[in-house]
Amino acid sequence: MSDATSTLTGAGNYFEDFEVGAKLRHARGTTIGEIENQMLTKLVLNTADGHYNEHRMQGTQFGQRLVFGLVTGSVCIGLTMQDTGENALAELELTGIRFTSPVFHGDTLYAYTEVLEKRDSDREDAGVVRFKHWGTKQDGKIVFEGERTVLIKRRSHWGNR
Amino acid sequence: MADPDLTQFKLVTKGHSFEDFNEGQVFAHHWGRTINAGDNSLFTTATLAYCPLYFNVEYARAHGHPDVVVNPMLVVCTVVGMSVEDLSEAGGPFLGINGLKFHRAVYPGDTLTARSTVVSKRESASRGNFGIVTWRTEARNQRDEIVVSYERTNLVAKRRGAPL
Repeated sequence: MSDATSTLTGAGNYFEDFEVGAKLRHARGTTIGEIENQMLTKLVLNTADGHYNEHRMQGTQFGQRLVFGLVTGSVCIGLTMQDTGENALAELELTGIRFTSPVFHGDTLYAYTEVLEKRDSDREDAGVVRFKHWGTKQDGKIVFEGERTVLIKRRSHWGNR
Repeated sequence: MADPDLTQFKLVTKGHSFEDFNEGQVFAHHWGRTINAGDNSLFTTATLAYCPLYFNVEYARAHGHPDVVVNPMLVVCTVVGMSVEDLSEAGGPFLGINGLKFHRAVYPGDTLTARSTVVSKRESASRGNFGIVTWRTEARNQRDEIVVSYERTNLVAKRRGAPL
């Protein structure tokens, strides 16, 4: 590639930059609609039509389609990605994934992160960071939470490549 | 010709109820899914997953990969998606995923298949029409290498219970 890879990603989110206990409110939100819920639910072969059959869902306590939980989770993790995984080498683990309140078409999601842990990895050019993420709707209600462990480049090895 | 009496057509039912699950039972999930580059780009951009490994092939190659890396969240979503009819389509909220590990990278052109084993089942204390089932799911690529594994827990409707 003609340009150095380090010019393509941010300079403030290498392993060295994360501090345990840091709390981040991510800048952007996104409104969930047909692309995010219906398209992605079908793309991944999720056959549960409660995510894409408005007619049937009108007859339930929800009154409308429910957003697939892992679409909510993927969008919330996506909203954190520039700040927590832009300089990642690999995603390692997820745990404690919970969907605490239903999400509907038209809801807008925002994301928050706390840095829980940092540790060395078995490769010297990267370290492991464990995050706790939360996702909320426009009214601040938490709809998603989970822990995510990521292998992140060290600036000392990758900052000028 | 008169319209057919559609009320006499038999519903082709889908999914399993709480009573259908037994500890240790294994489900080999349907279909399999070859993940292509378009799937990965659509999913990654629609979820704002701004890590260039997933959408800049030159960047991915500079990090030792033969192609762009398939966004791991797309891998999870696809594996859960293929398991839904067997495990959770018949109704019940998603309670959680724990202990998920990404074992190796997936690349466009790789084909994923998934299997789940029933880990445990119990009654729901608060909702009599439902039980709680936990499954361990593993997905493999076309070389039979494991790519992701996790435990998922759902409320599952009993046969007589209303799913939603």
